[in-house]
Amino acid sequence: MSADGGTQGGETRIIRTDYLARVEGEGAMYVRLDGRTVEDVKLRIYEPPRFFEAFLRGRAFTEAPDLTARICGICPVAYQMSAVRAMEDACGVTIDEGPLRDLRRLLYCGEWIESHSLHVYMLHAPDFLGYPGAVEMARDHAGIVEQGLQMKKAGNALMAVVGGREVHPINVRVGGFYKAPTRVQLRTLLEPLERARETALATVGWAAELPFPEVERTPELLALSDPDPGSYPIDRGRIRSDAGLDIAPGEFDEHVVEEHVEHSNALHARLRERGSYLTGPLARYGLSHAQLRPLAREAAGEAGLGPLCTNPFQSIVVRAVELVQASDEALALIEAYEEPDAPAVEVTPRRAVGHGATEAPRGLLYHRYEIDEDGTILDARIVPPTSQNQLAIEEDLRAVVERDLDLPDEQLSLRCEQAIRNHDPCISCATHFLELTVERG
Amino acid sequence: MSADSNQTPAKQTSAKQTLAVWKFSSCDGCQLSLLDCEDELLALADRLRIAYFLEATSAVAEGPYDISIVEGSITTPHDAERIREVRRQSRTLITIGACATAGGIQALRNFGDVAEFTSIVYASPDFISTLSTSTPISAHVPVDFELNGCPINKVQLLEVIGAHLAGRRPRVRGHSVCVECKRRGTVCVMVAHGTPCLGPVTHAGCGAICPAYDRGCYGCFGPMESPNTAALSARMAELGSEEIDLVRVYRTFNAGSAAFREASEAHEHEPAGGAPA
Amino acid sequence: MSESASHTLERQDFDELFGALARRGYTVVGPTVRDQAIVYEEIASSAELPIGWTDEQEAGHYRLRRREDAALFGYNVGPHSWKRYQLPPEVRLWRARRDADGGLTELEPEPRTAPRYAFLGARSCELHAMGILDRVLLGGAHTDPADRARREDVLVIAVQCAQAGNTCFCSSMGTGPTAESGFDIALTEVLEQDRHYFVLEVGSERGGELLGELRHAPAGQHERAAASAAHDRAAAQMGRELDVTDIRDLLYRNLENPRWEEVAERCLSCGNCTMVCPTCFCTSVEDVTDLAGEHVERHQRWDSCFTVDYSHIHGGSVRASTRSRYRQWMTHKLATWIDQFGSSGCVGCGRCIAWCPVGIDITEEARAIRDSEAVGDARP
Repeated sequence: MSADGGTQGGETRIIRTDYLARVEGEGAMYVRLDGRTVEDVKLRIYEPPRFFEAFLRGRAFTEAPDLTARICGICPVAYQMSAVRAMEDACGVTIDEGPLRDLRRLLYCGEWIESHSLHVYMLHAPDFLGYPGAVEMARDHAGIVEQGLQMKKAGNALMAVVGGREVHPINVRVGGFYKAPTRVQLRTLLEPLERARETALATVGWAAELPFPEVERTPELLALSDPDPGSYPIDRGRIRSDAGLDIAPGEFDEHVVEEHVEHSNALHARLRERGSYLTGPLARYGLSHAQLRPLAREAAGEAGLGPLCTNPFQSIVVRAVELVQASDEALALIEAYEEPDAPAVEVTPRRAVGHGATEAPRGLLYHRYEIDEDGTILDARIVPPTSQNQLAIEEDLRAVVERDLDLPDEQLSLRCEQAIRNHDPCISCATHFLELTVERG
Repeated sequence: MSADSNQTPAKQTSAKQTLAVWKFSSCDGCQLSLLDCEDELLALADRLRIAYFLEATSAVAEGPYDISIVEGSITTPHDAERIREVRRQSRTLITIGACATAGGIQALRNFGDVAEFTSIVYASPDFISTLSTSTPISAHVPVDFELNGCPINKVQLLEVIGAHLAGRRPRVRGHSVCVECKRRGTVCVMVAHGTPCLGPVTHAGCGAICPAYDRGCYGCFGPMESPNTAALSARMAELGSEEIDLVRVYRTFNAGSAAFREASEAHEHEPAGGAPA
Repeated sequence: MSESASHTLERQDFDELFGALARRGYTVVGPTVRDQAIVYEEIASSAELPIGWTDEQEAGHYRLRRREDAALFGYNVGPHSWKRYQLPPEVRLWRARRDADGGLTELEPEPRTAPRYAFLGARSCELHAMGILDRVLLGGAHTDPADRARREDVLVIAVQCAQAGNTCFCSSMGTGPTAESGFDIALTEVLEQDRHYFVLEVGSERGGELLGELRHAPAGQHERAAASAAHDRAAAQMGRELDVTDIRDLLYRNLENPRWEEVAERCLSCGNCTMVCPTCFCTSVEDVTDLAGEHVERHQRWDSCFTVDYSHIHGGSVRASTRSRYRQWMTHKLATWIDQFGSSGCVGCGRCIAWCPVGIDITEEARAIRDSEAVGDARP
């Protein structure tokens, strides 16, 4: 925090957090104010780059799900799903119905439940209730933290049965799975998932009562849209936005550009000639509210949430609605499950380019691969949700700072951090990505 | 930085030991394993004072720390400095996961040209400050205990912390995955299906998951205590693995471990780092 | 085998056996197909048996193959052995909590009973293996009551081998192929043009009582001859051979034989041979404490002389090299076992050969050592 001479507008004020807490990975925040003017806002991603696209070159197409899972320990299933869809697209195979697709969706529901429970209860809720973390929060709200942990555990149990383990599941392959779970195995999950659904419903009501700063933001919302009108987007669909974008995943490259900026080890994505956009729960909810399962839609309504949520601080309520959605859908998928004849379909490589886009808990995850006729990966491009959201997050930050300019530094800084956590950034994913510093001028 | 005035030495059982969790280059999955201990997390927080764990809390206490758990590998000059500071602040330093113990998947850069890698991912490579290698923590500072796995097994993590608190040796065995696989009663995928499997040369700890899901072990726990990769590679070749397959199978998350690096290099006949034509 | 004790049971009446066993409170463990192999699991009817399946076995190789008939027991031993039930892979021995004064109070002592098992389909080599393991676990002065409980009351329905596999060498070890004792009932499966039946021998009073509940008939001369022919066929098909002449002293003389170096080049020290061996009994006993230090449990797990820790004593492992570990295993199995327990530890089932991922063959290793003496280069 320094006051530099030579400015006319007043003194320079800097708000910064060098090590953001309760986000996945390492980032920082930096805001510089000149008097009452916000001069600069940066979400800095300083976590070192890991070069996945580079070392995917020369690997076998079948290795992509296991290799790219290691981009993120919080949402490995998202990486595996976008990877297998892209490879199947390249090889001319579609798994859009039947038990294999149901199993994929089921596994994905497990990751949504695990990731959203983690974020709602352990990363985000402490902001609203004034604790540094869930462990401290548990001293006063043991029951709430405990139920969040049990819901998280149900998501993990689902991933462990279908995927083999919670972090970096081993059962996903191009073409399907290595081994399909039995009906009996899946039915062991009914009871914990029913409890998780109850908890999720209670969470919607609880989250809706949290104290929210009144902030309205209307970024362009972008998410997948499932072709089935009764299906909330998770694993397939066209990419749509509320400003009229409507493209196939294969056209993503033409519409989204990524640029490398000095303050971040993540690439910043923007829509060509349109600028920033937001992906994630707020976008999915805003675009596919009508496709929520009735139970989730009712829960949202009862919590007073309209079909569009414009206050990013209320994303915690939307996540809770998605927890209802994911647990309710998981239960339905298990009830209807018929064991497949074979755990995977044959996928023969050919020289082609394939695209895959699915909805990670924190937003759209796009993969594109070019493979050779023997299946060797020639080129890879991966666009994680957090790089897509980085600009929108910085815009949120700017809006929050402008609104709460009169708060003392410490409180403003907390408010800014909270504005970042609203979007559950996953920095490990984005590095290809985050650090915040606020300079006041 | 001195310890709190009323901090007693670690052997005094009445004082809570402090725990710090550090992240270097990694995917976060191993520290997530700690948060994945849903049934034990609050007990853990009761038994230890969480002094530094950014992913879980913004409350930060100054060092020194009784136990530091380190995730991730060293890939930048800044991190190479930071790990020395962490070591200075830590009585016991435990590394967790393939990144911290072997360099992780990002150690694939050790086989290629980093300048070229950077230009592939980032359009303006000038902004990137990175080392040409990804190295395990033990290459930089002395480590008290290494826990393998990509990701680690959370039950083993609790065992390591519990053993430390009880003042005993952690019960983490270095034998092959096969021992766990046979205990589990799984049918050997290599013998009965002809599926190449790294189980015989891979460190136990995962619970032998892959063969139970009808696939060969892919070595995510790194080399076992006495790996005979040459004999296994010869057998996998008989089962149909090509040279390129043998390079790839050892060259994943534990590519930076000596045994797997050498095993992969033994089958590499192309120029280093090059993609097969 | 006394001819008067032979009976026949028709295939269509075979499920009466499951009914009779269930009525007597037995849990039946027997062969079934899972994950492309024949394993031992709890089964409830003949439909779960490996009907029409056989196996092809070689060093490091096992494949299921279809038979041309509907035999129930037309296969050789698979990856599992009865050891899983005599000495389970993992057992909690006890658990306790810490008292305020630092002492330990044991919680709910572990039950000393096991389900009342009927082992269906045990082969002659396996009966011998069970006997050897019984001597190890129950033959000494100090035995574990839990080990004893697991063996009490086990009913054994043996199956006489009608064929031998490529990795079988029970004839060499004097443990088969035909079981003479150690069973309650032994059955020989006979498949004829238009008849599928079993020839039964009763080996105990319990076996006789059980037989009484089944629809059976006395075996005639034709049926006895058919059973006998099946036994002879198995003996004639024995895929491997191990010359046990003077084998204890042979191995004692060859502790420094260069062959141990050679096998160590191939050996993965993965421990598979010891895990599949029906007599290897090494376990480790490990204590587990909880985070709070309030609760402790002691577990016994299968271990292996191929692991470094197993021979870890103060100062390090006494068998640091794979050479010394393979030598230890084979010398114990074929030689020191004789001094220790009065018999060989090997029953010639061939599991260690088939289930070694790189196909190391104990009969070949023993032969190589014997042959090296014949050449005269390894003898002092």
